[in-house]
Amino acid sequence: MSLHTLSMHDITSRFQKGEVSATEIVKHTFARIEKFEPSLDAFLSLCKERALEKAEKLDLKKKQNQPLGRLAAVPIAIKDNINVEGEITTCGSKFLTNFRAPFNATVIDLLEKEDAIIIGKTNCDEFAMGSSTENSAFKKTKNPWKLSCAPGGSSGGSAAAVAARIVPLALGSDTGGSIRQPGSLCGIIGFKPTYGWVSRYGLVAFGSSLDQIGPLTRSVADAALAMEVMGKHDKLDSTSIPKERPPLLSEMKKPVAGMTIGVPWQFLEDLEPEYKKSFEESIKVCKSLGMKVVDVDLSILKYSVAIYYIVATAEASTNLARFDGVRYGVRSKVAKTLDEVYDLSRQDGFGPEVKRRIILGTFVLSSGYQDAYYRKAQKVRSLVIKKYKEAFEKCDLIATPTSPFSAFELGSIKDPLQMYLADIYTIGADLAGLPAMSLPSGFTQDGRPIGLQLTGPQLGEPTVFQGAAAFEDATQFYKKIPELFV
Amino acid sequence: MKQEKTSPWEVIIGLEIHAELNTKAKLFSGAPNHFGDEPNSNITPVCTGMPGALPVLNKEAVRKAVQFGCAVGAQVAKFSQFDRKSYFYPDNPRNFQITQFTHPIVIGGKIDAMVDGEEKHFHIHHAHLEDDAGMLKHFNTFAGVDFNRAGVPLLEIVSEPCMHTPKEASAYASAVKAILDAIDASDCNMEEGSLRVDVNISVRKKGEPGFRNKTEIKNMNSFSNLEKALHYEIGHQIAEYEKNQDKNPLDVIPQATYRYDPDQGKTILMRRKEQADDYRYFPEPDLLPLVLTEDFIEEVRKGLPELPLQKEKRYVEELKLSPPTAFAIAYDKKIAVYFEECLKYCQNAKSVANWILIEFAGRLKDKNLTLAETAIGPCHVASLVKNIDNGTISGKIAKSIADDMVEAPGKDPEEIIKENLAYRPITDPAVIAPIVDSVISANMQSAQDFIAGRDRAFAFLVGQVMKKTGGSASPELVNSLLKQKISEITPK
Repeated sequence: MSLHTLSMHDITSRFQKGEVSATEIVKHTFARIEKFEPSLDAFLSLCKERALEKAEKLDLKKKQNQPLGRLAAVPIAIKDNINVEGEITTCGSKFLTNFRAPFNATVIDLLEKEDAIIIGKTNCDEFAMGSSTENSAFKKTKNPWKLSCAPGGSSGGSAAAVAARIVPLALGSDTGGSIRQPGSLCGIIGFKPTYGWVSRYGLVAFGSSLDQIGPLTRSVADAALAMEVMGKHDKLDSTSIPKERPPLLSEMKKPVAGMTIGVPWQFLEDLEPEYKKSFEESIKVCKSLGMKVVDVDLSILKYSVAIYYIVATAEASTNLARFDGVRYGVRSKVAKTLDEVYDLSRQDGFGPEVKRRIILGTFVLSSGYQDAYYRKAQKVRSLVIKKYKEAFEKCDLIATPTSPFSAFELGSIKDPLQMYLADIYTIGADLAGLPAMSLPSGFTQDGRPIGLQLTGPQLGEPTVFQGAAAFEDATQFYKKIPELFV
Repeated sequence: MKQEKTSPWEVIIGLEIHAELNTKAKLFSGAPNHFGDEPNSNITPVCTGMPGALPVLNKEAVRKAVQFGCAVGAQVAKFSQFDRKSYFYPDNPRNFQITQFTHPIVIGGKIDAMVDGEEKHFHIHHAHLEDDAGMLKHFNTFAGVDFNRAGVPLLEIVSEPCMHTPKEASAYASAVKAILDAIDASDCNMEEGSLRVDVNISVRKKGEPGFRNKTEIKNMNSFSNLEKALHYEIGHQIAEYEKNQDKNPLDVIPQATYRYDPDQGKTILMRRKEQADDYRYFPEPDLLPLVLTEDFIEEVRKGLPELPLQKEKRYVEELKLSPPTAFAIAYDKKIAVYFEECLKYCQNAKSVANWILIEFAGRLKDKNLTLAETAIGPCHVASLVKNIDNGTISGKIAKSIADDMVEAPGKDPEEIIKENLAYRPITDPAVIAPIVDSVISANMQSAQDFIAGRDRAFAFLVGQVMKKTGGSASPELVNSLLKQKISEITPK
């Protein structure tokens, strides 16, 4: 078995046994990047020296029999909206082309403390705004299963890097589905934790009340391991939940027979036949595992996209106000007055989708419109939370498809509203702050991956992982590797 | 005052006081909250609005705000919340300020203040926490931003529009300052900007319903400038209305923001408010609502130090000070601390108060100093008063000694008396007796008057003896010798 198909656990264990050195792992990873990156365009920057240095240190530690971390020698990639101290953080935006992060995100500290090795920063939609990664100012990432297709987004670079077996773990961020949807389109695991489970400190904010960092991996176990490392209370993030997180690797092995799966059938009416059939297959698998399936009412979610594009853009319009060309980022060279510094720097630095959302967010917060939009959206958001709670009185997990469609051709979706609908099934968990995972559940006839989403109640991580592990074990879709990247 | 009573105009004043809280760290980060350091030395990623940085509320600032709320008898909100207030300005690192717009931490409250010897009550609308902005510095060809101040906690104390004269406004502001001082919530240094006063002012005809347009005067740097600015602006508004009686009042005085220029003695227009600013307030999603328990609020309330008003009452009731004297001491923390320290050495509170407030304050006025800022210690002032009280020195000599104490601060008055022959009271009867004799013989009529029961005649004779000794005779000795010698005279 070659190095790049090993699970995170196996990499660390082989390294600890002395079967492979950290330096060999890093070199192997960069060899694959050299070979595949030209066709994949998953990375915005690479930190080869940093990675090799860390690898040497780990090899020395190993030689000296010093204790090694839980992720020792695991190569990882980081979405480029998460700060890694000393590295450029562009957020996929021209505006931050020159922005070198002055501090580590808390998750980076946690991962590095466990001896993971950062390989590079991955491509994403500008400021995580998008569902195809095509809104990146720098490059178009390709879907490893079909290079003419988008990997999904906004964490498309991370999803592609994991699916192409370059790294076993990449971090994404999810505001409306940005981990799960690319996970689904790339045939891997994408997990968005309960809001407040993972610290947001160092994640460049998009929609602060929705944003969560989470893992993209090839297996449920790898995601569980990453979550155990990253799920810690952080006093630098006031919304971080001040509780001990239960272990996931042990919890997920518990038997699932007797577990109840809720399906909001009414909400899934419009699903296209091929995807509907696949989803029904997945539900059959659940039943075969001894799970009970019940119907739940989440018809309120038909409003979720509308609410999301009010709440997220309102928050984003203020979060992105700091990009003004005064303290960092790219300042317009032709600006002569303060107003020109603001106007021209933002005009040059931001792409069209970001501008669209800033304008929308500014509008919905304006006096005279706030009641009709922002406040009303918040009220409906409270209803969404309530409806989920009611649903979870009847079931342990809610199953839906992750995305209404599988990987689409690059450039094929031109209407922004059409693109927003890509997140119809994922946004609910963000609005309600719930844990949700996308996991591979099959393929279209032409071989593009399809994903199943399991959503748990608040802090229901163990249940989500338990259900997902059982489904993965029963289906084994995760073993399939995109042909070009074997 | 008389003039105001006869004037057909009524003045309405409301104050917004921004007090920088003297916490160790800033409101939303661990950066030091310290004035006067090298530019951009007290900053963290939060202070400069770095991407990925998040605010964390400083509990010390919350405690100080709650202390203030308890001190002014306000309702301390068990649920308050922070909001984002959006506006672009280079000193505003996130281009939104984090403030409390809809749910402030302090609601209501009352301020008692002394106006022309009369106690008045003023009402607080609310007080809220927010973070301060950085500071712009302009150079020849460019401007720089110093973010040391960015994120410093501010308590914005908003009054009801309940004041009607410049004196009331400054009395209210002084009383607010005294309370902040007493609870050690702010340095209250107006020149360093740790206490900033904005004032809203409008006038209307007495009995007129509703308000006319108000103007705002920003950032007065002293209470006397606050009064001057108000006087100027009141005069300006009334004059404009009287000059333009045929016009719509809304067009005569438009809503506008001014600043006061103390050199020119007038207010200068900064900007007109043609339309209300839209700050697009909404709840700050990076911070949880601030929930306080009854126990916490009670604990803070119980831990409050003695407040200026309580102090004033105690001084009047227990120390028998006059209300204006008690107010003057109680509402100035530095003076109050000094005064109470003096009382440890000398119990003559009235005299100590007089020496602090009148004698030494007068002598230090030109130097722009207060007693506490000099090396003249409370024990020195107490010692001076004690020496007067036990008859060692006369009041006149005491004043000369006070002059010397101001010239050479830190010297004990006992020391000054010892070193200066002229201050040393003549306690030898052999020296005083001949002088007493000569005064009696030169003023026999007065001696006879005293025998006849006129006490004032005796005081006159004492004065004459003191005059001849250059004030250096021990007053007690002079008294007894005079009485003895007069008793030897045969009454007429």
